[in-house]
Amino acid sequence: MEAVLWYVLTGTRGGTNRVRILRALDERPRNANQLAEDLELDYKTVRHHLDVLEDNGVLQDSGDDYGAIYLPTDQARHHWDTVEEIIEQVE
Amino acid sequence: MAVLIDAMHALSVLNVLLLAGLGYVWGRNFYRFRSKHTLGLLVFAVLLLAENALAIYLFVFNPDLTVWINTASLVPPIAQRAMLALRALEFAGIVFLTWVTWD
Repeated sequence: MEAVLWYVLTGTRGGTNRVRILRALDERPRNANQLAEDLELDYKTVRHHLDVLEDNGVLQDSGDDYGAIYLPTDQARHHWDTVEEIIEQVE
Repeated sequence: MAVLIDAMHALSVLNVLLLAGLGYVWGRNFYRFRSKHTLGLLVFAVLLLAENALAIYLFVFNPDLTVWINTASLVPPIAQRAMLALRALEFAGIVFLTWVTWD
Protein backbone atom coordinates (compact mmCIF):
# COMPACT_ATOMS: atom_id res chain seq x y z
CA MET A 1 0.00 0.00 0.00
CA GLU A 2 2.80 2.45 0.81
CA ALA A 3 4.34 1.94 -2.64
CA VAL A 4 0.91 2.50 -4.21
CA LEU A 5 0.49 5.75 -2.30
CA TRP A 6 3.91 7.06 -3.34
CA TYR A 7 3.25 6.10 -6.95
CA VAL A 8 -0.31 7.37 -7.27
CA LEU A 9 0.34 10.63 -5.37
CA THR A 10 3.90 11.55 -6.39
CA GLY A 11 4.79 9.48 -9.47
CA THR A 12 2.13 10.66 -11.90
CA ARG A 13 1.07 13.85 -13.64
CA GLY A 14 -2.13 14.30 -11.60
CA GLY A 15 -0.45 13.63 -8.23
CA THR A 16 -0.80 17.12 -6.77
CA ASN A 17 -4.54 17.30 -7.40
CA ARG A 18 -4.98 13.80 -5.97
CA VAL A 19 -3.24 14.93 -2.79
CA ARG A 20 -5.64 17.90 -2.55
CA ILE A 21 -8.63 15.58 -3.06
CA LEU A 22 -7.38 13.17 -0.40
CA ARG A 23 -6.80 15.98 2.09
CA ALA A 24 -10.32 17.34 1.47
CA LEU A 25 -11.90 13.90 1.91
CA ASP A 26 -9.93 13.39 5.12
CA GLU A 27 -11.51 16.57 6.54
CA ARG A 28 -14.96 15.30 5.62
CA PRO A 29 -16.33 12.89 3.00
CA ARG A 30 -17.84 14.63 -0.06
CA ASN A 31 -19.23 13.77 -3.46
CA ALA A 32 -17.55 14.55 -6.80
CA ASN A 33 -19.56 17.75 -7.32
CA GLN A 34 -18.65 19.19 -3.93
CA LEU A 35 -14.99 18.30 -4.49
CA ALA A 36 -14.94 20.03 -7.87
CA GLU A 37 -16.50 23.13 -6.33
CA ASP A 38 -14.40 23.21 -3.13
CA LEU A 39 -11.10 22.60 -4.94
CA GLU A 40 -12.01 24.69 -8.01
CA LEU A 41 -11.29 21.79 -10.34
CA ASP A 42 -13.08 20.62 -13.47
CA TYR A 43 -15.76 18.01 -12.64
CA LYS A 44 -14.38 15.53 -15.19
CA THR A 45 -10.86 15.94 -13.76
CA VAL A 46 -12.19 15.17 -10.27
CA ARG A 47 -14.08 12.13 -11.59
CA HIS A 48 -10.92 10.80 -13.25
CA HIS A 49 -8.83 11.21 -10.09
CA LEU A 50 -11.54 9.60 -7.95
CA ASP A 51 -11.63 6.60 -10.29
CA VAL A 52 -7.84 6.21 -10.17
CA LEU A 53 -7.79 6.46 -6.37
CA GLU A 54 -10.62 3.91 -6.13
CA ASP A 55 -8.90 1.53 -8.56
CA ASN A 56 -5.80 1.68 -6.37
CA GLY A 57 -7.73 0.98 -3.18
CA VAL A 58 -7.13 4.41 -1.64
CA LEU A 59 -10.76 5.59 -1.73
CA GLN A 60 -14.16 3.94 -1.52
CA ASP A 61 -17.60 5.36 -2.38
CA SER A 62 -21.00 5.04 -0.76
CA GLY A 63 -22.46 3.53 -3.93
CA ASP A 64 -25.24 6.08 -4.54
CA ASP A 65 -24.46 6.62 -8.25
CA TYR A 66 -24.43 10.32 -9.00
CA GLY A 67 -24.35 11.59 -5.45
CA ALA A 68 -21.90 8.97 -4.15
CA ILE A 69 -19.83 10.16 -1.20
CA TYR A 70 -16.11 9.33 -1.24
CA LEU A 71 -13.94 8.50 1.77
CA PRO A 72 -10.54 6.87 2.42
CA THR A 73 -10.49 3.05 2.65
CA ASP A 74 -9.45 1.26 5.86
CA GLN A 75 -6.29 0.25 4.06
CA ALA A 76 -5.44 3.90 3.32
CA ARG A 77 -6.30 4.85 6.92
CA HIS A 78 -3.91 2.16 8.09
CA HIS A 79 -1.11 3.88 6.17
CA TRP A 80 -2.28 7.42 6.83
CA ASP A 81 1.12 8.48 8.20
CA THR A 82 2.49 8.00 4.67
CA VAL A 83 -0.36 10.10 3.25
CA GLU A 84 0.33 12.81 5.82
CA GLU A 85 4.02 12.76 5.01
CA ILE A 86 3.13 13.46 1.38
CA ILE A 87 0.42 16.03 2.20
CA GLU A 88 2.81 18.02 4.40
CA GLN A 89 5.14 18.54 1.44
CA VAL A 90 2.39 20.15 -0.64
CA GLU A 91 1.30 22.69 1.97
CA MET B 1 19.55 -1.13 -45.39
CA ALA B 2 19.92 2.57 -44.59
CA VAL B 3 16.28 2.44 -43.56
CA LEU B 4 17.18 0.37 -40.47
CA ILE B 5 19.74 2.98 -39.40
CA ASP B 6 17.21 5.76 -40.02
CA ALA B 7 14.62 3.93 -37.93
CA MET B 8 17.16 3.59 -35.12
CA HIS B 9 17.86 7.34 -35.23
CA ALA B 10 14.12 8.13 -35.25
CA LEU B 11 13.52 5.92 -32.20
CA SER B 12 16.37 7.63 -30.34
CA VAL B 13 14.79 11.03 -31.03
CA LEU B 14 11.34 9.79 -29.92
CA ASN B 15 12.92 8.36 -26.76
CA VAL B 16 14.49 11.73 -25.97
CA LEU B 17 11.14 13.51 -26.45
CA LEU B 18 9.19 11.07 -24.26
CA LEU B 19 11.89 11.10 -21.57
CA ALA B 20 11.89 14.91 -21.57
CA GLY B 21 8.13 14.77 -20.91
CA LEU B 22 8.56 12.20 -18.15
CA GLY B 23 11.45 14.18 -16.67
CA TYR B 24 9.23 17.27 -16.62
CA VAL B 25 6.42 15.49 -14.73
CA TRP B 26 8.76 13.77 -12.27
CA GLY B 27 10.95 16.84 -11.86
CA ARG B 28 7.90 18.97 -11.05
CA ASN B 29 6.65 16.34 -8.61
CA PHE B 30 10.06 16.04 -6.97
CA TYR B 31 10.22 19.82 -6.55
CA ARG B 32 6.85 19.62 -4.77
CA PHE B 33 7.12 16.37 -2.78
CA ARG B 34 10.87 15.80 -2.27
CA SER B 35 10.18 12.07 -2.02
CA LYS B 36 12.79 9.38 -2.59
CA HIS B 37 10.39 7.60 -4.95
CA THR B 38 10.05 10.63 -7.23
CA LEU B 39 13.79 11.33 -7.08
CA GLY B 40 14.42 7.77 -8.28
CA LEU B 41 12.06 8.26 -11.24
CA LEU B 42 13.67 11.62 -12.08
CA VAL B 43 17.23 10.26 -11.99
CA PHE B 44 16.14 7.30 -14.13
CA ALA B 45 14.59 9.63 -16.75
CA VAL B 46 17.64 11.93 -16.82
CA LEU B 47 20.13 9.06 -17.23
CA LEU B 48 18.11 7.32 -19.94
CA LEU B 49 17.68 10.66 -21.70
CA ALA B 50 21.46 11.14 -21.56
CA GLU B 51 21.94 7.65 -23.00
CA ASN B 52 19.68 8.41 -25.97
CA ALA B 53 21.19 11.87 -26.52
CA LEU B 54 24.65 10.29 -26.52
CA ALA B 55 23.45 7.68 -29.03
CA ILE B 56 22.21 10.47 -31.33
CA TYR B 57 25.52 12.28 -31.02
CA LEU B 58 27.62 9.18 -31.63
CA PHE B 59 25.57 7.79 -34.51
CA VAL B 60 24.55 11.03 -36.26
CA PHE B 61 27.09 13.76 -35.47
CA ASN B 62 30.35 12.16 -34.37
CA PRO B 63 32.62 12.44 -37.45
CA ASP B 64 34.40 9.09 -37.00
CA LEU B 65 31.58 6.84 -35.86
CA THR B 66 28.95 8.12 -38.32
CA VAL B 67 31.13 7.23 -41.29
CA TRP B 68 31.53 3.74 -39.90
CA ILE B 69 27.81 3.33 -39.00
CA ASN B 70 26.58 4.60 -42.38
CA THR B 71 28.76 2.31 -44.47
CA ALA B 72 26.76 -0.85 -45.13
CA SER B 73 29.84 -2.97 -45.82
CA LEU B 74 31.24 -2.16 -42.39
CA VAL B 75 27.97 -2.72 -40.50
CA PRO B 76 26.15 -5.70 -42.01
CA PRO B 77 22.32 -5.93 -41.83
CA ILE B 78 22.37 -8.36 -38.93
CA ALA B 79 24.23 -5.82 -36.79
CA GLN B 80 21.85 -3.06 -37.91
CA ARG B 81 18.85 -5.19 -36.97
CA ALA B 82 20.40 -5.91 -33.58
CA MET B 83 20.92 -2.19 -32.86
CA LEU B 84 17.39 -1.40 -34.04
CA ALA B 85 15.89 -4.16 -31.86
CA LEU B 86 17.54 -2.72 -28.73
CA ARG B 87 16.19 0.77 -29.49
CA ALA B 88 12.73 -0.60 -30.30
CA LEU B 89 12.49 -2.49 -26.99
CA GLU B 90 13.63 0.59 -25.10
CA PHE B 91 11.07 2.71 -26.94
CA ALA B 92 8.24 0.26 -26.12
CA GLY B 93 9.20 0.38 -22.44
CA ILE B 94 9.27 4.17 -22.36
CA VAL B 95 5.92 4.44 -24.19
CA PHE B 96 4.33 2.19 -21.59
CA LEU B 97 5.86 4.16 -18.73
CA THR B 98 4.60 7.41 -20.28
CA TRP B 99 1.10 5.94 -20.52
CA VAL B 100 0.96 5.06 -16.80
CA THR B 101 2.57 8.34 -15.74
CA TRP B 102 0.29 10.63 -17.77
CA ASP B 103 -2.63 9.73 -15.49
